[in-house]
Amino acid sequence: MIKRLEFLILFSILFLIFPLPVFSQVVLRMVGPEDLGGAWAEIARRFHGRNPDIEIQYIPGPWSTDQRQDMYIRSFMSGDAFDLVFMDVIWTAKFAEKGWLLPLEDWFPPEKQEIFLQGDIEAGRYHGRFYRAPVRSDAGLLYYRKDLIPHPPKTWQEFEEICRKYSSPPEQYGIVFQGMQYEGLVCNYLEYLWGAGGSVLDDQGKVHLETHENIMALKFMKKILDEDWAPKSVITFQEQHSLEFFEKGKALMMRNWPYVWKVLNDSPLRGKIGIAPFIHRQGKEPASTLGGWGMGIARAGKHPEAAGKFVEFVTSPEAQKILYFKTGAVPSRKSLFRDEEILKESPYYRELYEILSRARPRPVHPDYARISAILQKHVSSILVERESPREASHGMQRSLESLLKGRKENWLKRLALDDDLFQTARNTAFFTLISVPSEFFLGLLMALFIHLPFRGRNLGRLAVLIPWALPTAVMAMSWQWMFNNPFGIINDVLVRAGLLSIPADWLSTAGGAMFAALFADIWKTTPFVVIILLAGLQSVPKELQESLSLDGAGPLKRFFQLTLPMLIPYIRVALIFRMIHAAGIFDLIWVLTKGGPADSTRTLSLYIYDLAFQNDEIGYALFLTSLFIAALILMSFAVTRGLTLRYERVGR
Amino acid sequence: MKKAMIYILLAVISVYCLFPFLWTILTALKPQEDVFKLPIRYLPERVSAQNLENVFFKRPFARYLLNSLVVSGGATLFTLWAASLIAFRLRKMEIERSLKIQRRLLIMAIAPPALLVIPVFMAMRKVGLVDHYLGLILPYVALNLPFAVWMLHAAFRQLPKELNEAAMLDGFSSSRILLGIVLPLSRPALAITAVLVFIFCWNEFILALTVMPSQMKYTVPVGIAMLSGASVYEIPWGEINAAVMLTTVPVILLMAFLQRWIMEGLTRGAVKG
Repeated sequence: MIKRLEFLILFSILFLIFPLPVFSQVVLRMVGPEDLGGAWAEIARRFHGRNPDIEIQYIPGPWSTDQRQDMYIRSFMSGDAFDLVFMDVIWTAKFAEKGWLLPLEDWFPPEKQEIFLQGDIEAGRYHGRFYRAPVRSDAGLLYYRKDLIPHPPKTWQEFEEICRKYSSPPEQYGIVFQGMQYEGLVCNYLEYLWGAGGSVLDDQGKVHLETHENIMALKFMKKILDEDWAPKSVITFQEQHSLEFFEKGKALMMRNWPYVWKVLNDSPLRGKIGIAPFIHRQGKEPASTLGGWGMGIARAGKHPEAAGKFVEFVTSPEAQKILYFKTGAVPSRKSLFRDEEILKESPYYRELYEILSRARPRPVHPDYARISAILQKHVSSILVERESPREASHGMQRSLESLLKGRKENWLKRLALDDDLFQTARNTAFFTLISVPSEFFLGLLMALFIHLPFRGRNLGRLAVLIPWALPTAVMAMSWQWMFNNPFGIINDVLVRAGLLSIPADWLSTAGGAMFAALFADIWKTTPFVVIILLAGLQSVPKELQESLSLDGAGPLKRFFQLTLPMLIPYIRVALIFRMIHAAGIFDLIWVLTKGGPADSTRTLSLYIYDLAFQNDEIGYALFLTSLFIAALILMSFAVTRGLTLRYERVGR
Repeated sequence: MKKAMIYILLAVISVYCLFPFLWTILTALKPQEDVFKLPIRYLPERVSAQNLENVFFKRPFARYLLNSLVVSGGATLFTLWAASLIAFRLRKMEIERSLKIQRRLLIMAIAPPALLVIPVFMAMRKVGLVDHYLGLILPYVALNLPFAVWMLHAAFRQLPKELNEAAMLDGFSSSRILLGIVLPLSRPALAITAVLVFIFCWNEFILALTVMPSQMKYTVPVGIAMLSGASVYEIPWGEINAAVMLTTVPVILLMAFLQRWIMEGLTRGAVKG
C-alpha cells in the first residue's frame, strides 16, 4: 500500500518535471498578432524552405499590443525568452536598457541601414547601438471623404469650418479618432501637441508641458467632443472601432494608420477616400506620430545566428511585399515606395512617403511606458471631463517631472510624490467601503432567509454557492459581455423596463465602470458572507430561541438580543476576510476594465503589479506591498477591537 | 400567503445568483451571427455548437484544460498528502497547543494572492521554476495547507483514540495507522477538502498569469481572460462565452452533487476560523 503510494507520488513528480518533448531542430519562437491573411505563415514557410534546419514558430498572441509586450517581458524575466522579438517602436528603449536585446550591427552595418526610412532607423537606436530592424513602418494619417468635402483641411481653423458646414451629427460626424485610454490615445494627442508647436520634452530633455501650446492642444481636443464634431463614444474607440464607424459612412474624416487603406478599398467606399497629413495650427508644421514594428533578437536566445538570418529575411523586399499584399503593412524600405507593383495597388504611396519621412517618434526613454500612462490618464480625463485643460497640463508636468528625476531618489521621497499611488489608494478605499458593507448586509439577509425552515431551501443553498465557486476572472469576462454596449443584456433589460432611455456605456465612463466592478464583486462574494453567517446561525441554540419567544419576544427582539450577539464572532471573521480581499482585489478589475477609463477603477494591486511586471521596479513594488500589508493588518485589528464584546474581552 | 412570499424570495435569490451563468450559456449556444444581433433575443432561435467547436479547434483550449487539470490536480494531491501528515502529527499533541499552532497558520493564509505574487514570482525565478507546473503547484500547496490541516485535524480528532492504541498494540507502524486506519475512516473529510482545494486552484488567476507566462502554459482562467480583444474585427464574444460555459459547468455540477457536504465542510471550517 505504502509502496504503491510512494511510487505514484514519485511518478507524478517525474511527470511534472519533464513535460516537454525535446526538439532536434532549431526552433525560433516569436509572438505577434493573430495571423490574418496568413502573411506570417507564408514568410515562415519560405524561410524554412531556404533554411531547412531552422523552423519559425509564430505564436499568435492577444491583439492588444500592451498584452503582447507583457508576454515578452515575462518571458525575459523568466529566463525562457522568445528568440525573436517582434516589437513596437516604443518598446525598444526599455528592452535595450534592460539588456534584453542583442545589438544588430553584425547584420545591419550603417551603410545597410540607409536603405530604410530614416525615422524607423532612429527609432531602433538606443545609446548609439542598433537593436531593432524595421519590418513595417507606420504613421498617423487623416483620411477624408473625397465625395463629401471639397478638400482636406490643413489647419485647425479649416477643420472647424468643414465640420460646421458639412457635418450633421448624429447621422454624420466630422471626425473619428482613437480616444480610449491606451497607447493610441497618446499617438493622437501628440499630433495635436506637435501640430500646435509644442513637444513633450524640450531640447535639454526637460519636461515641457505646462505650456500655452499644450493647453491649446488639449482645449482643441476637448472642443472636438464638446461641439459634437466627434461622437461621444469615441472615448471607447481603438483603431478598429473608428474604422468601422467611418466605413459605415458616419464620419467625414478619420485619424488612423495606413493599413486601413486596404480595408476601405475593399468596402463600398472604394474611390471615395483621400489621405492627407494631419491638421495643425495656423503657422505651424503638420506632424504624424511614427509607429511601426521591427524585429530584434533576444540576448537570452540560444541561436543568435539563426535568428539573425531570419531578421535579415523579414526585412528583405520579398518579405515586406508579402506583408504589404496580405495585410496592408507599410514597408520600411525606401525603394519599395517606388515599386511598380505596390504603386499600382496603392498610388497614394507617393504622398504617404512624404508623410512618413516627416513622422516624429514618441519620446525615446526606457520609462516610456510610464510616460505614456501619465499622458493617457490626463488626456483621457479631459475627454471624460474629469479635468480642465489647465489642470491636466499641470498634472502632466508634475507627474512627468517626478518620474524623470524620481527614479534615483529614495522610496520614501518618491512615495510622497506618487500621484498614481494616491489615486489608486483612493479607488481601493472607495471600492472596499462600498463593497464590503453591501455584501455584508445582503449576505446577512440572505443567510437569515435561507436559514428559515422551508421545503426547497436546499435549492436556495445551491444557488447561493454557485457564484462563490465560479472563477472570478472567468466570470469577469461574462460581466464584461453583459455590460457591453449595445449587445449587453443589462442595457437591454434596463431599457425595456423603462429605467434607461438609451443604452448606457457602462464600462467607458468613470462612474459606470466603478459601478460595474462593484456590482460584479458584490454578486461574486456575497455567498462567502452567507456561508460563514449560516455556520453562525446554526450555532444559535434552538432552545434559547424558543424560550425567548415563550417570554413574548417578537422576531426583531429575538434577532437583536440573541442571534446578533451570537453571530458576532462570525461577523468578525467574514468582515476581516472580505475587507482584506476587497482591498487586494485584482483579477476582477484586471479582466473587467483593466483599471480604466482614466484610471478610475485602478486599484492598488493593479498599480503595484504594473510597477513590478511592466516597469520592472520590483524593489519599489515590494516596498509598497509591505506598506499595504501593514495597513491591512492595522485595519484588521481595528475591526477586531470594534467588534469584540465586553464579556469576550474579560474572558481573555 | 407567507409561503408564497418565501417562494418568491427564493426565486429572486436564485435568479440573482444564476443569471450571469444562464446568460453565458444562452449566448454560447447561439450561432455566431446571432450573437451580435439587435434587438437582443433572449432565447436562441437556432442552437449551434459552432462556438464550442471553435474553442477547441481554433484555439488551444484543450491545452489550457490540461494545464489546469495538471496544476489543480497536482496541488490537491500534494496538499492532501502533506496536510494529512501534519494533521496526524498534530493529533498526538495536546489539543490546546495544536489549535494554537493552527490558528497562527490560518492567519497567514488569509493574505490575498495579489499581495503574494511578487515574492512568489521572485522565489520561483530563483529556483528556475517559472513557466513550470511545479512553480504554480508549490505556492498553491502553501496557500491551501493551513486550511486543509484545519479540516483534516477536525476530522481526525473525531476518531476515538482507542483505535490508535489498539493498532499500536498490534504492532502497526505510524504510517500504517495513518494510511490503513485514519485516512480511510476520514474519507468524507478528505473528499470535501479535496474539492475545496481543487476549486481554489482551478479559479486562481494572478499567480497563474504571472508564474506561467507562455501561452502553452496558460490555465483556463488566464486563457479565457487573454481572449479579450484577441481578434481584429470583433471580440469573439460567442467563443468567449462558450469557453466560460465549458469552465463553469463542471464546477456547477460538482456543486450540485456535493452541495450538502461542501456546505457542511465550509461551515465546519468557519466555526473557529
